[in-house]
Parts: sequence; structure tokens; C-alpha cells
Amino acid sequence: MAAISHLYVHIPFCHHICPYCGFYKHQPGRLANRAFVDALLDELRLAARDTDLALETIFFGGGTPTLLSPSHLERLLTGLAGLTDLSGVREWTLEANPATFDLAKASLLRDLGVTRISLGVQSWQTDTLATLGRDHSPEQAEAAYHVLREAGFASVGIDLIFSVPGQTAAGWAADLDKAIALGADHVSAYNLTYEEDTEFLTRHERGELNSDEDRDASLFYLAIDTLEGAGYRHYEISNYARPGHESLHNQAYWSGADYLGIGPGAVSTVEGRRWKSLPDTAAWIARIQAGQPAHTELEHLTDEDRRLERLALQFRTAEGIPAAIVAGGDLRSDPVSSLIEQGLIEIAPPGDRLRLTRRGKALADSVTAALA
Amino acid sequence: MSTALTRNFSIIAHIDHGKTTLSDRLLEATQTITDRQRQDQLLDSMDLERERGITIKSHPVTMSYKARDGKTYQLNLLDTPGHVDFSYEVSRSLAACEGALLLIDAAQGVEAQTMANVHLAHQQNLTVIPVINKIDLPAADIPAVKKQLEDIIAIPGEEAIPASAKMGIGISDILEAIVERIPPPAEPIDDRLRALVFDSVFDTYRGVVSYVRVISGEIRRGTAIEMFSTGKRYEVKETGVFTPKQTPRDRLVTGDVGYLIANMKSSSEVKIGDTITDAQRPCSEALPGFKEIQPMVFAGIYPVSSDDFEQLKVAMGKLQINDAAFTFQAESSAALGFGFRCGFLGLLHMEIVQERLRREFDMDVISTYPGVIYHVKKTDGEQIEVDNPSYLPEPQVIEEIQEPIVRVFIMVPNENIGDMMQLVADKRGELENTETLDTTRVLLTAILPLNEILVDFNDKLKSVTRGYGSMDYEHAGYRPAKLVKMEMMISGEPVDAFSTIVHRDKAESRGRELAAKLKEVIPQQMFVVAIQAAIGGKIIARESISAMRKNVTAKCYGGDITRKRKLLEKQKEGKKRMKAIGKVNIPQEAFIQVLKTSN
Ligand SMILES: Nc1nc2c(ncn2[C@@H]2O[C@H](COP(=O)(O)OP(=O)(O)O)[C@@H](O)[C@H]2O)c(=O)[nH]1
Ligand code: SF4
Ligand SMILES: [Mg+2]
Repeated sequence: MAAISHLYVHIPFCHHICPYCGFYKHQPGRLANRAFVDALLDELRLAARDTDLALETIFFGGGTPTLLSPSHLERLLTGLAGLTDLSGVREWTLEANPATFDLAKASLLRDLGVTRISLGVQSWQTDTLATLGRDHSPEQAEAAYHVLREAGFASVGIDLIFSVPGQTAAGWAADLDKAIALGADHVSAYNLTYEEDTEFLTRHERGELNSDEDRDASLFYLAIDTLEGAGYRHYEISNYARPGHESLHNQAYWSGADYLGIGPGAVSTVEGRRWKSLPDTAAWIARIQAGQPAHTELEHLTDEDRRLERLALQFRTAEGIPAAIVAGGDLRSDPVSSLIEQGLIEIAPPGDRLRLTRRGKALADSVTAALA
Repeated sequence: MSTALTRNFSIIAHIDHGKTTLSDRLLEATQTITDRQRQDQLLDSMDLERERGITIKSHPVTMSYKARDGKTYQLNLLDTPGHVDFSYEVSRSLAACEGALLLIDAAQGVEAQTMANVHLAHQQNLTVIPVINKIDLPAADIPAVKKQLEDIIAIPGEEAIPASAKMGIGISDILEAIVERIPPPAEPIDDRLRALVFDSVFDTYRGVVSYVRVISGEIRRGTAIEMFSTGKRYEVKETGVFTPKQTPRDRLVTGDVGYLIANMKSSSEVKIGDTITDAQRPCSEALPGFKEIQPMVFAGIYPVSSDDFEQLKVAMGKLQINDAAFTFQAESSAALGFGFRCGFLGLLHMEIVQERLRREFDMDVISTYPGVIYHVKKTDGEQIEVDNPSYLPEPQVIEEIQEPIVRVFIMVPNENIGDMMQLVADKRGELENTETLDTTRVLLTAILPLNEILVDFNDKLKSVTRGYGSMDYEHAGYRPAKLVKMEMMISGEPVDAFSTIVHRDKAESRGRELAAKLKEVIPQQMFVVAIQAAIGGKIIARESISAMRKNVTAKCYGGDITRKRKLLEKQKEGKKRMKAIGKVNIPQEAFIQVLKTSN
């Protein structure tokens, strides 16, 4: 039986839909959250029949997991603990949005085992928040941060977005400074992208929202310089952490580990098979209630698929990839040698790994394509 | 047998002056075709010919006409290709005739092509019968056209027959004039077989069909014939005439126009202008004027998808069977992959070949910038011909380069003379002559490099004259010019598909134009890319593409992995279709884009 160390739980509910967001999410509507929570537990129960759950990391993402009521959260988290032994869990992350929880809810999560919070701040500037269509103010975000600390979370991360149309370098610098000043343990700094099926993409195509490679690049470098200067380690393209606060769960994805995902739209990869749980909450619940797996988009991964995935993901991390997975490990011939010559990649210690340089990080997709 | 009752003629006219319509009327008047068979514009049988209103292949037809003198004559009409690209074929068709109808639109008057064709007819010593067509039009001005005939072509105005092909006016006068004014075929000097090949077509079932005019002797089924130029012998399988469809006849005799089929497999076995004689009793000399048709315009033709190379080769082979003037030879280009260096009679011919490859063979092709044949004299005295810029020797070993020139006849409205002269000068031309045509138009005769009129001269002429101008040309030999090879370089590497031979004075502007276009289509790279135009290593124009600054996906988590991998697979696949010019990877489509916009 396949041993699973990493569990992802997708909570697709959001109060308000952000116009740039490409995740599977929707408003809770009149769906019975009780039925949803039970379906999550049932899906896990189904999966546990042919896997050996020995969880080390858990990630509750969304959507907005903090939208669930305290009683549903309690039902879900205790249900989870009842299904499998959580004593080996080293990190349990939950995504939270400002203005969706209070001290009581935060304390409850803390008490039920969550160790790490990723808070969706996105910006500390009122105008940038407005452009992004977020439904909270900078003050609410700041209050939410303090509530999390008050609840006793030892690891709190802040998510920020840069290169938003209208955002200035000064605005971005202020966003970073504020996260540093608050003492965030982790910062995710995402370059705004125009995702498929979003209002932002439509507006981008109409020319209302621009993208600007120069702005992308200079704000990216600004983030690296500012955060590294404040003691954070740039351990993946979009992620910075104080030592010991790197996301173990995400690192598992990047290194090609197996993981189980539950909840509508969640993806699982187990022993060369990958599938997605139906990205349709009602249909997903119905299937689970009927006692059937609610899987779709099943894939069988070949060795070459896995090699390309490592190249695509692990190469983005500070550790880089074993040189053996590209060009048969031959570092002296093209394309490796010319990318080294161009200062885009470098040989990392102990000498058998390749990683991106500062300039290479900004061009990671092109560099990866050149090596594929 | 006497030739007294035979008349061979063709119709020469500027496009749209009514040649096809008049041909149809003549066929009807002589009951060669019945109304039931009638189909508009009967003689233009290829789709492409109908669409463009041009004749590419000859469509001869034999008519039987009872004249006013009570005798029945056999009239052979040799329709000729109407475009200068095919002027050699035109002149061969005319060589098979004793006379020509010169058709002029009563409302348009003499046009450029009228001039070029009259030149050819005079060279063949043909009797020219002027016909002023479209007299039914309100704008018809018969006296003005008569005056132009006298002033420009030196034909007495009273010889002109007023007609309307459309309304059927003047048709019997024309038929009578053909009988009365055009001399019958000359009596042969002996009875040995001499037949002039003036065209040929390839028939899938019957092989090569040669179109011939018998000058002396006779041909029938079973005759052993010999081709004068190759010495090859064949047995005749069938002889016949055009009614207008090919209709077998026992034999063809002196003065006849018809066809013959022998067991020839490809049009390249029969050369237009060649003499056919009897293998047993050959004539001693060929008929005058045979020369191999030489392609004048050259370009690379490449399959858009490199997988189609073999298929393209097969398609070209099939085309050539029917079009001996088209030549091709495999070549390869760093930018475009494997393709062919092709030779054409002219730009129209090139367009037609490309169009036929697309339509008849479903091939997706792209062609490089067209060029001409240069005569290069090297410092060591050697003379070479260069049709591909890649083969031009290094400048230091070139003593002189000569380029082909043409005599261009241009008709322009008076108010555009200034602009037109400027255009001629821009294209490195010299005006030879200016003649007033009528109160509104002049005829300019100019010598221009062929190379300069290849691409956009006609379009520019049309735009300068708002569509009222017209042009035609004839080849006028070679002359020396200050020509250089210009190379386009990407990051210091020359890109063969864009090498051109240009006049030194035009190199800068052409170089700038190409550099700007390349800049538009070459995707940004991770480093700065220099695009340069150079002559013998000296940079004359440059552009640069700035390096890409940021290209990285923001998020990569569990749900994104497949999408990310698929993207990478696509990029990997895309790399296969990229052409590496040095370190720069450029999609082939980018090159194609530039060739499309610069041709
Ligand atoms: N009004 C008028 N139109 C004519 C006459 N003869 C031909 N046309 C028209 O002129 C156009 C060109 O004729 P066509 O025979 O195709 O010319 P070609 O290009 O010389 O073969 C067609 O639209 C004909 O209908 C004529 O005598 N009178
Ligand atoms: S809150 Fe987060 S998951 Fe929900 S719509 Fe906004 S960005 Fe998307
Ligand atoms: Mg016609």
C-alpha cells in the first residue's frame, strides 16, 4: 500500500470572488456545509482504504477555509484526527483571509492542531486592494494578523501580490516593509498573472489592465533584495521564509513527493497516478455520498513526465535540481554550458546540482524550457 | 495539296480588350460550336485562367468558313498567352501564323500590352488587321483610336474594322478580312516534313500532346518522327485538329495547325519552338528561331511544414510535366529547412506555379524573395551565371556584375507623368521615349532592371495612376550595374533566406526595412539579439531586440503540476520547429511571416 505523508484539503468557499483568482472556488450559497464537511471526511475514508496514511504535513487551502463555522471546523478537524494518527504531523497549514475569523475561531484552530497560518493580505495599500477587488481593508488585515499571534500561532505567513496595474515601486516596497515590520515568518510574493476564465483576463485583453515586463522584473528584484536584506531566505521563486519557517508541504510538491488531495478540485498524485477530485462541489458531494470515488482527469505518469515535472518545479527552489536530470548530467555541453555562460544558472554545492542565478530566477520559465 | 484555302492567325490584345469574347463569336459565326455547347469564354479552360482572365496555355481551334467568294476556308486561330512572362510562347505561336488580329478597346485605346504584342507581330512579319472593339460602348471613340494606330503603330486608320464582340457587330467583316488580307501559308520548298512545335500539354492518359504547325510535308499515325533539338525518335500514335476539343484526323499537311501524340512521357521531352521532322526523310535544317526557354526569375520555394518536402518534390515533378519552363532543384536553407530553388519565366509564372501547388496539390508553401540571373565576370576572366545570392563570389574576385534589363511600355494619364518618371528613376530606370497617345495619355518607354520591376512595380504604377496606368515589357539584354550581396545577420550569423543581391544605392533602405521586419517577428530571447544588414562584413543597418527581463510562473503547487508539465512539453515540441541561428532559436513561422510581408 502506498504510504502518504502529505494531505491537501480544498475548501472552495469564498464570500466574495476576487476578479483575478483562478482557483476552483465559489460562494457558499445554500449548500449545507455540514454535508460538505462529511463528504470531505468520507473522501478521506475512501482514500484510506488503499493508502497507508502516515501524515507529516497537512495543508488546508481554498477558497477560504476560515469561512467554515467554528462547529464545522471542529467537526472536520476532529473527524480527521479520528480517521488517522496525526502524531507524526510536523506542519499543519491553513489559509486564512482577513475579516473571516475572530480570536475564538483562531484559537479553536490552534487547539485542534493547526500550526501555521498563511494570511491572504495581498497588499497593504487601499488603492491596490481596490484594483484587486479584495473585500477587506489594510486595517482589517493588520488586525487579523495580530489575532493570529494572540491565538498563539508560532508561524504566520503573509501573502502579497505585486505588479498590479497602478502599483508603484514605492507601494510595493511599503507592502514588503509592513510584512517585515509585523514580523511575518513567511512571505509569499506573487507576481500578478492573468489567469484563464477570470474577469482580470477579459479586462487585460480589452486593454484596461496592463502587464509590464519591466515592472514585473524590477518589483521582483525589489522583493528579493528587501526580504533577503531582512533575513528571509528566498527558497522558491515566490516564497521567502525566516529559517525554519519554509513550507514543508509545498517543498514536498516541489521535490516530486506523493500527496493526497481531497475536496472538489483537489489534485492527488500517488505512485505514478494523478487525478483530480471533481471540481464541482454539488456533484462531488453526490458522488461521495453514493460511496463512489469522485475522481476525474486520471493520468498515468511516465518517468519522462516525472523528470519534466521535477525540472519544472524543483528547479525553482534554492536547492535546484540534480544535474543528472538534465542533459544526462553533462555540464560542459549545450544548453547547460551556454546557460551558465549567460549567467542564468550555476552549479550548486556539492557540485552535482544546478540552480538558477538571480537573473535566471526572473527568467525561470525560459531557462527551464531551454533545458527540457 | 494547296494551302490556298488555309489561314492561320492569332489575336493580340491588351487584357480585357475582348480577345476571349471575340474568339467565342468567331467560333459561333463559323458554327464551330453550337449554341448548346456554348459556355462563356470557351477558350480559357483552366480555372486559374478564367479567374484571372489570362490565357496561360495556347488554345488553338480550327474553323471552317464559307467566304463571300463562295469557297470554304479552313481558319486556324491560335490563341496566345496574354502575358509577357510567356512571350516566348507568344512569339512561337505567332511564328505559326501568317497574320494577327490586333484588338483595341474603342474606349480605352492603345495600351501597354498592345504595344508589346505589336512589336512581336512585326518581328514575325505578320499581316496585322486592326479591329476596334466595343464600339457599342457610349465612351467608344473610334477616330481617336484610329489616330493612335497611325501615330504610334504606323497602321493606316482606314484598315481598322469597327466591331463589337459582345453585340456581334463586325464579325463577318473580320472573317472576310482574315481571308482577304492574310496570306495563305507559303508554298513549301520541298515535301520533307517540317513541323513547328508551338506548345504542348500533358494528358494523364495519353501522355504529351504536342501542338504543331506543319510548314511542309505531312504527318500521320505511324510516321516515325525525329525531334530536331534532341535527335530523339518517336512513333506518332495520333494526329488531329482542335474543334476546339482535340479531334483525331488522318493526317496533318502543309499549312495545318493541329496536334500529335507520340509516346513521350514528359513535357521536357518536347521543347517549344523545336522542329519535328520525318526520321526516314529528315529535312536538313531546323525551322528558324528555336531557343531553349530560359527561366528569368528565381526563388526558393519551401514547404511550410518540413514533413511535406517529399510531397512537394512529387508535386513539382508533376507540374513540370505540364510546364517545361518551370525548373526546380533541391536546396536547403538554415532558416527554412529543405526546399527547392525554382526558375520561372517571370513573376506571373511564379505566382501561377505557387497557386497551382496550393490548389492542385494542396501544398502549403512559402517562397523567398525573387531574384534574377546575374552575369558575373570574375577577375580571372571566368564568366559565371548566378541565380542564388549564396553563390555570388566574394567581392574582391568580381570584376563586373551584369543584370538583366527590360524595355517597359508604360501608359499613363498626363497628370501622372511626373510621378511616373519619379517611380522609373527610383527603380533605377531611364526613359527612352515619351509619346503622346491622345489628349489624356502618354506612352513612356523606359529601360529598367528586371529585378526592380519584379516585386511591386506594377502595384506602384497602379497606385500612382489610381488604376488608370498600364505596363508591359520585353527583355532587353544585360548591362553592368553596381550590385552587391546584402546579408541579414542575427546575432552575427547570416540568415541565408534573406540574402539578396541589391544595387549598392538601395542596400541601406532594403536592409533597414528587412531588419525592422525581423525585429517584429523574432521572439524575445534571454539575451540581446542584434539584427544587422551587412555588405561584405560592413554593417549598413541594424536593429536590436532587448533581452527578456522576466518570464516566470508565479505559482506552482499541487494542482498546477500537470499544466506546468504540459506547457514544458509543448515548448519542447516547439523547439523542434525552431531554427537555430547561432544561439538564437527562431520559429520557422517567423521567417515565413517576413517573407510573406516582404514579397
Ligand atoms: N461593351 C462591350 N464589352 C465587351 C465587348 N467585348 C468584350 N467585352 C467585355 O469586356 C470584358 C473583357 O472581355 P474578354 O473577352 O474577357 O477580354 P480578354 O481579356 O481580352 O480576353 C468582358 O467583360 C466582356 O464582356 C464589346 O464588344 N462590347
Ligand atoms: S479569497 Fe482567495 S480563493 Fe477566494 S476568490 Fe479571492 S483569491 Fe480566490
Ligand atoms: Mg481572355
